[in-house]
Amino acid sequence: MSIPADLKYTREHEWVRIEGDTATFGISDHAQEALGDIVFVELPEIGRVLSPGDAFAVVESVKAVSDVYAPVGGEVIEVNEELEGEPEKINTDPYGSGWIARVKVDGGSTELLDAAAYTTFLEE
Amino acid sequence: MNESVTPEENRLALTPLHAEHIRLGGKMVPFAGFDMPVQYPDGALKEYTHVREGSAGLFDISHMGQVRVSGPQALDFLQYVTTNDVSRLVDGQVQYSALLNDTGTFIDDITTYRIGEGQYYLCINAANRHKDVAHLLREAAGFDVTVVDESDDTTLLALQGASAELLLQAYCDIDLDGIGYYRFAECRLAGEQALVSRTGYTGEDGFELYLPNAAALKVWGALIGDGAVPIGLAARDMLRTEMGYALYGHEISDAVTPVEAKLMWITKLDKGDFIGREAVAARKAEGARQVLIALKLTGRGIPREHYPVLVDGEASGEVTSGMHSPMAGGVALAYVKPEHASNGALAVEIRGKAVAAERTTTPFVRSRVRK
Repeated sequence: MSIPADLKYTREHEWVRIEGDTATFGISDHAQEALGDIVFVELPEIGRVLSPGDAFAVVESVKAVSDVYAPVGGEVIEVNEELEGEPEKINTDPYGSGWIARVKVDGGSTELLDAAAYTTFLEE
Repeated sequence: MNESVTPEENRLALTPLHAEHIRLGGKMVPFAGFDMPVQYPDGALKEYTHVREGSAGLFDISHMGQVRVSGPQALDFLQYVTTNDVSRLVDGQVQYSALLNDTGTFIDDITTYRIGEGQYYLCINAANRHKDVAHLLREAAGFDVTVVDESDDTTLLALQGASAELLLQAYCDIDLDGIGYYRFAECRLAGEQALVSRTGYTGEDGFELYLPNAAALKVWGALIGDGAVPIGLAARDMLRTEMGYALYGHEISDAVTPVEAKLMWITKLDKGDFIGREAVAARKAEGARQVLIALKLTGRGIPREHYPVLVDGEASGEVTSGMHSPMAGGVALAYVKPEHASNGALAVEIRGKAVAAERTTTPFVRSRVRK
């Protein structure tokens, strides 16, 4: 189970990478493992303004439909359109080419866990 | 691995192969009262691909029920309780059929095996087992017939895929090539007594293997050891949905008759009296109350069970089974109002949005069963 130290996590199993005033979102290795083969991703529209905790994307596995929630607030500035053709990238590379969306942060945030806290959370 | 059993798991039945599923890394889920593998570590998509691309997929479907019907009036009894014409069966032949209520709606869909004169064998759905058996025992009171529920003693495996026959032949003491589609034979399989039928629920060539529980591990182990790939429930459902095969609780239930479910081809109104006949004949005369259709999304998305189906923007029905088919895209079976069976602009409502769809035919991908 991979939990990179340079990312923050939510209790709903999203990850966020904050770099300056942008933040990149995805779902954790644990989340993709639990969902199984991902076969469809619904991406947010560019320009949509997300409040922290808003459902902004949907990932669908063979059997399940799951909302993905924004770890921090901001305006969507980029989405990973490659996931429309290759949703399995979330399974094979959840922290890299399986990223879902990027926002311009506005300062609002859900409660974020660092890698150590997320690891503990998963073990509980 | 933590093998502690919670109270909830404790209530689930286990097939004779349960420990094998755990050993193979199966992700276990409750299904029809059994603890069953939904997938193995490779995942549902790879399992599906193995079966479609020519491997032999091995499924434990021991949760399904088996009922032996025998006696001088076995044929008369089955003519009365099932919808299809049992008199057309010859020894060694299988028939898809159904049990109906007096109201013409489904108790279950089944397969009927004719073993010999006065000797038949039924395969029934796991979730309907106790209901079916109670119904059959009740109706059997008027016939010189014996009805025995053998479900607890029987292991049922399915070996499906283009290489199923080649793999199975090495363990079987009869020539499998001589068993046609929907035919069966009793034989020795890995030395064990078995009933082998060329049937399945995947759209691929293959067999279903009925075994005494004591032979389950030996046969399963031999086939897995020889390259058969274990397949879980998720891939099984993908394979059957792509074929457009009905599943009890989805396309068929005690709320619909064969008229709605497009199963009049297994309902022989002219064979003589049977339970549900009058009601089905009346429904046929008055017309279906809803109609099962096959659809394919032209927009993006996955049409899933219970999603609303819209025609010309108005609610018309709902999806009963749907999936993302790796070959055909977003496909589904759905009930719509009869006037929409072939007319009107079709859409599926997915998370509040209407996604355009078109009517199509089943199977959604080409069937490769041996005809």
